[in-house]
Amino acid sequence: MAERRVKIESKVGLHARPASLFVKAASAFDGDVHVAKGDAAPVSAKSILGVMSLGAKHGDEIVVTAEGEGAEALLDTLAEIANAD
Amino acid sequence: MLSVLSPVTGTAVGLEEVPDPVFAQGMVGPGTAIRPEPGLQTAVSPVDGRVVKLHPHAFVVVGAADGNGNGGKGVLVHLGIDTVRLDGKGFTALVAEGDDVVAGQDLIRWNPTDVLEGGLSPIVPVIALDAVGDVVSRPVTGEVNRGALLFQWA
Repeated sequence: MAERRVKIESKVGLHARPASLFVKAASAFDGDVHVAKGDAAPVSAKSILGVMSLGAKHGDEIVVTAEGEGAEALLDTLAEIANAD
Repeated sequence: MLSVLSPVTGTAVGLEEVPDPVFAQGMVGPGTAIRPEPGLQTAVSPVDGRVVKLHPHAFVVVGAADGNGNGGKGVLVHLGIDTVRLDGKGFTALVAEGDDVVAGQDLIRWNPTDVLEGGLSPIVPVIALDAVGDVVSRPVTGEVNRGALLFQWA
């Protein structure tokens, strides 16, 4: 399983637009993808409701995990989205 | 079927009118959008449920389970586009995150006229989150009142 700690650089946090792009990228992946913030239980990165409910703000750290072929490449993409404006 | 009510009074125009491709192309989810009437007003909850996310300018209410398979459906209401930039200025929350609310309950006071004068679009997307397939039916178009039926979510 691949894991990545990502600091949110997007000024709006993982809100509507970045959250949608994040979920779209995760949903295109065959395996399981989860995202967690703090001590809360991880949510599926393929759920827009789950990702928006994290409430990840600018400067927060999230932990993204992915299982399956191409997991590292997917995490690169997700980190990029979390850091774009 | 979950009945989703209009959070604001205005004109329902469809998502394609939203000046943000992420909403207009349905990437956030299916639904519709309302051009709100001008002036100070209150946005109401579109469904019975819990406010799982509350931003000054947006909220998500997740429906309570009702025995008809409607539990866990989340509806996003976004008051204007790029209004995150206003940093909460001009928005007053009337409930707290985590509160249980009923459909039609007052949630946020705001003024679309101020949003427009700030150079932003005050259009209000109402989105069925994680809706898969063709499950949003009969969206109302044209004049709609706050608290009136906007669309059905199967």
